[in-house]
Amino acid sequence: MGKIMLRAAIMAGVSMTMLGCAVNETATVVMNSDGSLTQVIESNSDLLAANLKIADTKTGFVGNLLKAQVEIKNDSDDDLNFQYKFKWLDKSGFEVGIDGRPWQPLSITPYESKMVQGVAPNSSVNSFKVLVQD
Amino acid sequence: MKFIQVLIISISVLVLASCSTKISYGDATGVETTTTGFGSTDLQSISAKLVDDLISFPPIVQMTSERRPVVFVDKIKNKTTEHIDTESITDTVQTKLLQSGKFRFVDMAAVKAVQEQMQFQMDSGMVDPSKAAAFGKQTGAEFMLYGNMSSIIKRNSDTKDVYYKFTLKLVSLESGLLEWSGEKEIRKTGEKSFF
Repeated sequence: MGKIMLRAAIMAGVSMTMLGCAVNETATVVMNSDGSLTQVIESNSDLLAANLKIADTKTGFVGNLLKAQVEIKNDSDDDLNFQYKFKWLDKSGFEVGIDGRPWQPLSITPYESKMVQGVAPNSSVNSFKVLVQD
Repeated sequence: MKFIQVLIISISVLVLASCSTKISYGDATGVETTTTGFGSTDLQSISAKLVDDLISFPPIVQMTSERRPVVFVDKIKNKTTEHIDTESITDTVQTKLLQSGKFRFVDMAAVKAVQEQMQFQMDSGMVDPSKAAAFGKQTGAEFMLYGNMSSIIKRNSDTKDVYYKFTLKLVSLESGLLEWSGEKEIRKTGEKSFF
């Protein structure tokens, strides 16, 4: 019985560690051919579901390059330290400039919002995703 | 006797196993916080921020919508107390700008090798003269990209605070006008911990 409990505790610990390191997609924004935006917000982690909210998303063009701005809000009463990254996709859904952008550390004080911005690496990009990890 | 031998072998195997080197691959774009010194995250953050700034600066957007200006990258002055490979930063900036399709570059680091190859094509008698690259046809740069990197370091018995400032500038070679300038600041703090 003791051994089973120990195994269960180890498994739970390993699972929680893996969950803590998981990359979670927060927002996917696709620019349609008529210029309108389709925004899908997904959240599959405790950190995001409980504390982080995508308050607003804006896109525009600088020349022919897509520019994105995402407002991330800390909805908790704790300081949050995490990392975010933009992922750029072309019309066919292929990632453009793989590993071109680093994970950026970001800290947000309780109930504060912060804007993060990025410019697409080239003109083939028409959608983006924002990834966060803790 | 046999038991002692088995025990010794088992302990030796365990000791050797615990001393073996573990090698693993990590995310090259992951946040690296090993020390407060200049690291890969700083390099990547600097290049990403400055490239975004340059290609979204309105006069540059207007200019690059009509043509792809030719740029020459000069050295970055390292005014920090650390040894930092600033050429690595400019290489990353140059690669990102080139891949954006907005700029073209002349590579001064390759001039000697290019000259030797062209000399070979002209003088060796081994290359068809009609297919040899001709002298005097290269394109001159219109702009020069250069900059500075500086740091301020403060410390007390428990905390070390490092502030980096990286400035990149784009100047027109013909007019001497500074067409664009961008900055990236980084603050890193290290604290001694007993746990």
